Amino acid sequence: MSLTKVSLAEVVKKQYIYKLHAYTQVFLSLIILQVIAILFSLNGSGMMGSGGGMIDLEVHYYSADIVVAFTMLWGFITAILITTKAYRNDDFILVTNRISSNLSNVLFLLTASLIGGITANLSSFLLKIIISIFKSDFYIDSPADIVTVMDLFVGSGATVLYIFLFSALGYLVGILVQLNRVFAVVLPVVFVGGLILDGMRGDAGVIAAVFKFFFAESSFTLFLIKGICTLVLLFLAAFGLSNRMEVKP
Amino acid sequence: MSVIECKGLTKAFGGTKALDNFSCKIEGNTITGLIGRNGAGKTTLLKIIAGYLQQTTGEITVFSERPFNDLTVSANVIFVHDQLNLPTALNLKEILDVMASFYQNWDRELAQRLFDYFSLHPMQYYNGLSKGMKSTFNMIVGLAARTPLTLFDEPTTGMDAAVRKDFYRALLKDYIAYPRTIILSSHHLDEIEDLLEDILLMQRGQMLLHMSVTDLKEWAVGLEGRTVAVKEWTKNREVIFSKNGGLDQTYVVVRNDFTAAELQKVKLAGIKTLPVSSSDLCVYLTSKTKGGIDDVFNKG
Amino acid sequence: MALNLDGAKPIYLQISEWLENEILNGHFVSDQKIYSQYQLADIFNINPATAAKGLNILAEEQILYKKRGLGMFVTSNAKEMIVSKRKNQTLKRLVQEIVIEAERLKVSKDELIEMINITIMRRAGE
Repeated sequence: MSLTKVSLAEVVKKQYIYKLHAYTQVFLSLIILQVIAILFSLNGSGMMGSGGGMIDLEVHYYSADIVVAFTMLWGFITAILITTKAYRNDDFILVTNRISSNLSNVLFLLTASLIGGITANLSSFLLKIIISIFKSDFYIDSPADIVTVMDLFVGSGATVLYIFLFSALGYLVGILVQLNRVFAVVLPVVFVGGLILDGMRGDAGVIAAVFKFFFAESSFTLFLIKGICTLVLLFLAAFGLSNRMEVKP
Repeated sequence: MSVIECKGLTKAFGGTKALDNFSCKIEGNTITGLIGRNGAGKTTLLKIIAGYLQQTTGEITVFSERPFNDLTVSANVIFVHDQLNLPTALNLKEILDVMASFYQNWDRELAQRLFDYFSLHPMQYYNGLSKGMKSTFNMIVGLAARTPLTLFDEPTTGMDAAVRKDFYRALLKDYIAYPRTIILSSHHLDEIEDLLEDILLMQRGQMLLHMSVTDLKEWAVGLEGRTVAVKEWTKNREVIFSKNGGLDQTYVVVRNDFTAAELQKVKLAGIKTLPVSSSDLCVYLTSKTKGGIDDVFNKG
Repeated sequence: MALNLDGAKPIYLQISEWLENEILNGHFVSDQKIYSQYQLADIFNINPATAAKGLNILAEEQILYKKRGLGMFVTSNAKEMIVSKRKNQTLKRLVQEIVIEAERLKVSKDELIEMINITIMRRAGE
């Protein structure tokens, strides 16, 4: 029987298509999470009231920030999920090596981030509609929110990048945990411990600095470069660590 | 051409060696039975061949490539075992479709016919199947993939006798139609030995025997008769198994290096020469004592 | 098809004997193509290599001859060869076993010959 020849690109493409199909539950969880986030958002992110005599004034601020935050968390958890044995070992009954498996995972996470980012951004419109119909007597768009198509693109692009960054981080964390169970305890402790320590000392520590590095970047181009470099580093680390990983039941 | 070549293969898990300096060659287009007690290293060997695990030391090539992280090996090998991970979100029909898209030689028609014959339901999910049904589905995947190297690790776990028989028949018929290299590990040597061309017997991570089934049948011989007479013929030979039965009767299994003339004399001495079944022989060879479990009960 | 798979005799020998019987019965005549190893494997549910071994025994004994790429064919005097072989080998061996068993059972020579005579007469009468 003659041998079958396959190319890496061909295998990655097949795995990607297969994963989109087999991991549909991931997208179901996205829908559920975003609906919950929208419900939370209806409480408003801020409120200001004043009144006197005949006039009683209440101003509520609403934003889709919670939806974006939830989606980032979703990206993080999804990435961890697909590094678990149940998902990783699925690849090995099919044609695969570790590189193709990782590459198709990255493509899948990119797709998930695109879908998650765009829907999270669009959810602000849904929020506006719900509020203007049900919640308020007068509805005023904040000037910053007046949306041009360009703004929408940049906004969505940034959101997608954030979510993708979080999933890349999740992917690395997931691989570390697969490598050694100890990380499942060590990593959360270091993270939460770091936050507490920062709070106790009252100054911005490493975690805050990392957030500032991305969130405080005012130039979109610079933000893009920072983000992509970080992505590459995170995924390279994950690839390197998982390339010697064995398949165990 | 050898499809698999192992040289000094060792795989250690912590302190224990699952494979210990294991060497062998598997020729193309053969069905080889991988036989051994639990813990002999059969599954570890298959996992290294499939590229799941990486050896600690030693060398292995499959189709002249190192199997670990090799796409060519992955595309040309299917490894079917009883802890198979199949996508939980897809139903059986969808799993077969995915398999078909990955394995170039996949035979859709065969898969469908077997699927119908064993009354599987396309909308069922793999995790909802019973153990025997899972094995049946795995078997369909292993056969329909029709890869040049097919590895079955304990494929009949949980199958009832009728399905096992059907599986052996299906395997043989598909092998006759599409000769390829198949390795089959099993505890039921007596059930599969007629299917096999070669037997590879493993013990404690090492190769004990690797020969054709027909040669193995003549490799050893059982002598049964009066103890004195049997002892006379077996005293300078390697005793594989011995058992005292009845009054002054002994049954001894030895290497069959008798000449035709010697066998004639043995018969004339009133000793019966009996063929030793392959499965019995494998049990004798891999047991720690010459008398088997009986030795536990024979004090002194 | 009945092979005695658990029996004392190796399967490939059973295959070659079965093929000999087919030739003796006239199912295969001189210069007719005989079953291939794959057909035999399918019929008896055995590995093709084992079936090939059975065929090769007959080829070595020149009861069958090979045509490259076409398979194996029955030699013109195959029947006679089988008959004489069985007389010389199989029958001799069986007789020897009978004699040994008779010794074990303390059956005298005359008694044994008498038993054979009776069996022959019974079969003639059937």
